[in-house]
Amino acid sequence: MRNAAAFRGGWPAAGIGLLLLFPLSSPDAFFLDVFTTGFLLAAFAASWDVVGGVSGQITLGHAFPFGVAAYACALLTSLAGWPLPLAVAAAVLLAAAVGAGIGALSAPLAGPFVALLTLALGEIAHEAAVGNTFFSGPGGYAWGGEGGIPVALPWRDASPFSSYYAALAFLCLASYGMLRFSRSGAGLILRAIAGSPITAQASGVPIARYKRLGFAVGSAFAGAAGAGFALHVGRATATDLSLELSFQAATFAAVGGRGTIVGPIVAALVLHVLFQGLSLPPSARVLLYALTLLVTLRFFPGGVVGTARDLASRPGGKEGARSPRRRGRNRSGEGTP
Amino acid sequence: MNALLSAEGITKSFGATQVLSGIALSVAPGEPVGLFGPNGSGKTTLVNILSGLLLPDAGAVRFDGKEITRLPIDARYRLGIARTFQIPHPYPALSVREAVRVALDAGKRKEGEGTREDEEGPAEDLLARTGLFNQRFLPCARLSQGCLRRLEFARALACRPKLLILDEIFSALSAADEGDLTALLRAANRDDGTAFLLVSHNPPLLKSLCRRILVLDERRIVRERTT
Amino acid sequence: MTSPLPQVLLDGLFAGGTYALMAAGMALILGVVKVINLSHGAFFTLGAYVAYALAERGIVSPIAAAPIAAVIAFAFGVFLAKSFVNPVRNHPFALPVGTLACALLFEQAAQMAWGPHPLSIEAGAPWIGPGGLVIRRWGVIAFLSSAALLGGLKWLLSARPGLPLRLIAEDEEIAGSLGMDVEAIRYLTFGGACAMAAAAGALLSPSGAVTPTMGRAPLLLSLVVVIVAGMDSVAVIFLLSIGLGIFGNACAWFLSPQWSYVALLAAVCLLLSTRPAGIVVPAGRRD
Repeated sequence: MRNAAAFRGGWPAAGIGLLLLFPLSSPDAFFLDVFTTGFLLAAFAASWDVVGGVSGQITLGHAFPFGVAAYACALLTSLAGWPLPLAVAAAVLLAAAVGAGIGALSAPLAGPFVALLTLALGEIAHEAAVGNTFFSGPGGYAWGGEGGIPVALPWRDASPFSSYYAALAFLCLASYGMLRFSRSGAGLILRAIAGSPITAQASGVPIARYKRLGFAVGSAFAGAAGAGFALHVGRATATDLSLELSFQAATFAAVGGRGTIVGPIVAALVLHVLFQGLSLPPSARVLLYALTLLVTLRFFPGGVVGTARDLASRPGGKEGARSPRRRGRNRSGEGTP
Repeated sequence: MNALLSAEGITKSFGATQVLSGIALSVAPGEPVGLFGPNGSGKTTLVNILSGLLLPDAGAVRFDGKEITRLPIDARYRLGIARTFQIPHPYPALSVREAVRVALDAGKRKEGEGTREDEEGPAEDLLARTGLFNQRFLPCARLSQGCLRRLEFARALACRPKLLILDEIFSALSAADEGDLTALLRAANRDDGTAFLLVSHNPPLLKSLCRRILVLDERRIVRERTT
Repeated sequence: MTSPLPQVLLDGLFAGGTYALMAAGMALILGVVKVINLSHGAFFTLGAYVAYALAERGIVSPIAAAPIAAVIAFAFGVFLAKSFVNPVRNHPFALPVGTLACALLFEQAAQMAWGPHPLSIEAGAPWIGPGGLVIRRWGVIAFLSSAALLGGLKWLLSARPGLPLRLIAEDEEIAGSLGMDVEAIRYLTFGGACAMAAAAGALLSPSGAVTPTMGRAPLLLSLVVVIVAGMDSVAVIFLLSIGLGIFGNACAWFLSPQWSYVALLAAVCLLLSTRPAGIVVPAGRRD
């Protein structure tokens, strides 16, 4: 048992090692930038998984906390003149608060209605970002709208190498944190709620409170990724709040395996680097994401992980195990007896 | 003697059909009580009201001298009222041991402190008592009907309940499963002083397990008899 | 310049009456297929682009555009239902995310084909009514054809040919045991509902800009209608859609166009959070 676990831990280590070595092969700045963005997106996808996979709350508005943190970073540094670290901390806290709010609103809802509500909330935030203009104090520039708001960075031009390593370090830290959370007692309870809310509640779990917690933690990590993204790009734009971004996170998670944290990270890195590396126009990329997702959902509607686990254990599976398994897969997610 | 659980004037309608009308009942501490009634007599509705899944239209439920009519099911579990479901809704992806750990973690009177991964005691103990020890790493979705009922039992016992509400837990079980579970129920009642309200269709079983049997029919409790 | 109010009311009436066609389609899908179709707005957009493509080739007529759009959307809808919605309809994750994926897929495809910029259809000179009221010909035609189609739907649902739909909405197992091909009825209904959305899109296309994301607001409007009105009464859906159409138009006129979208979004949030159990639970049954 112990050896197998240690071996399994070897794959991520090998992956991180390769990513650490990659810049040494002196790739051009474009590829470094693709990877840097990929790391941030991967952390974002994993944070979606905390909400959508581990807690089972299908959110289609996960760009909301991401974008809120990006905008908070931009506004606090550029308009309010806060020092950067303070602004980042405030942005992450704000994202967590936004998440807790979304969680509180969606707690009484079941399955698809959570998706609807989060989608609507995310779109409201997007419209607000597109529609508002801010005026910078001294210069009197109009900021906002589609153009977004610049972040006042203390450094001039960050070298692509330092951005790459900073983003990689952030991804490692964030994914470690999220893995720890999903394997903690609270994570176990959230996975129980995802599996069967009624049984969890009958086991003494105050589910509304835990749903809020799941949303808050996932959103805090999304906010951290959003703040990181704003720092990397140098501005917060309305696309940080777009439905397409939320959808991208759900795609990565579905393709990589919901509820595993690591799966969405790998899927995000592979798909992003692949599609971005091909230099496709943005709309072609979203189109490819949608296609990938549809194919995945069509053939693994119950999730990549569940199906893979089924296949892996089928030859050695106990007899009579199939019929209850079916029941479980066809669960509707809401069960009011 | 003070009642552990008491209900008064419980009335419930769904739309135009009245299901329960002015139900009153009480369960003393450590008392084994049966609830019998034909199909559609409102047993499950009553159980849902007593366990906190439904709000009654009128009436009050008290537990340990506290009014709990509007308390949700999770809060009642933490107070010490545990119920089982006639049709279990297992967590498909969690292992049996994890399912029990959820109840152990959440059922703690004080909230917020989770058990650590290496803390093996109570979960293993419960699993051994309910005969699920060998299946403890199996995903719940793989369990047979009998094992699912055992798991329901383990989940209910995890909070060291003062009162168990068991909805048809013995129906359609193999003789071996039924024997094990009745022995378990007897032991919980005798050793831990756990009171229970056992809902069943099966009069001999009720007679053998319960000291008092309530008969529900036509929206009210029509008879009460002691065995 | 007289008060803009009558104009706003009139345009809202025309638009809302046409939106009702789409909302009724959504209700039909929710009732029979028991899923929430987030790609419904994409079919609306599809209809509008079909009308645009026809107009570019000199065929500027709603009477021509709506049926052609409907046929194309029906084909796509049946394909989508057969290949995706029916197989995954019991999965609470795959369904909303998958139908949203379809919507985004179409939005991006439209953007690649026609570009992101708003396109407009020259609908010919409007009639000028009393008091300078502008009466757009397409608006009148759209409203009347939508009302006629909805009347037809109402008749269908109450008459014999609609019996399978009612039965499946009520109880699929009974319908199946009576020898009905539940699966086929599901995808035909889905296709039909998509055709209704596309027809609405084609009929309404000259009244606004044709853009890849134009279907989002009508999608939300349909959701609001379905949440509030349920799936029982076509008349309620019609009236509610008109109300929301007028409201949306007033928002767009007196505030700014994006406000009507925000107002609809806010309505969805408000409805969901105030009556979480007020809507029929789709797909998967309770015991």
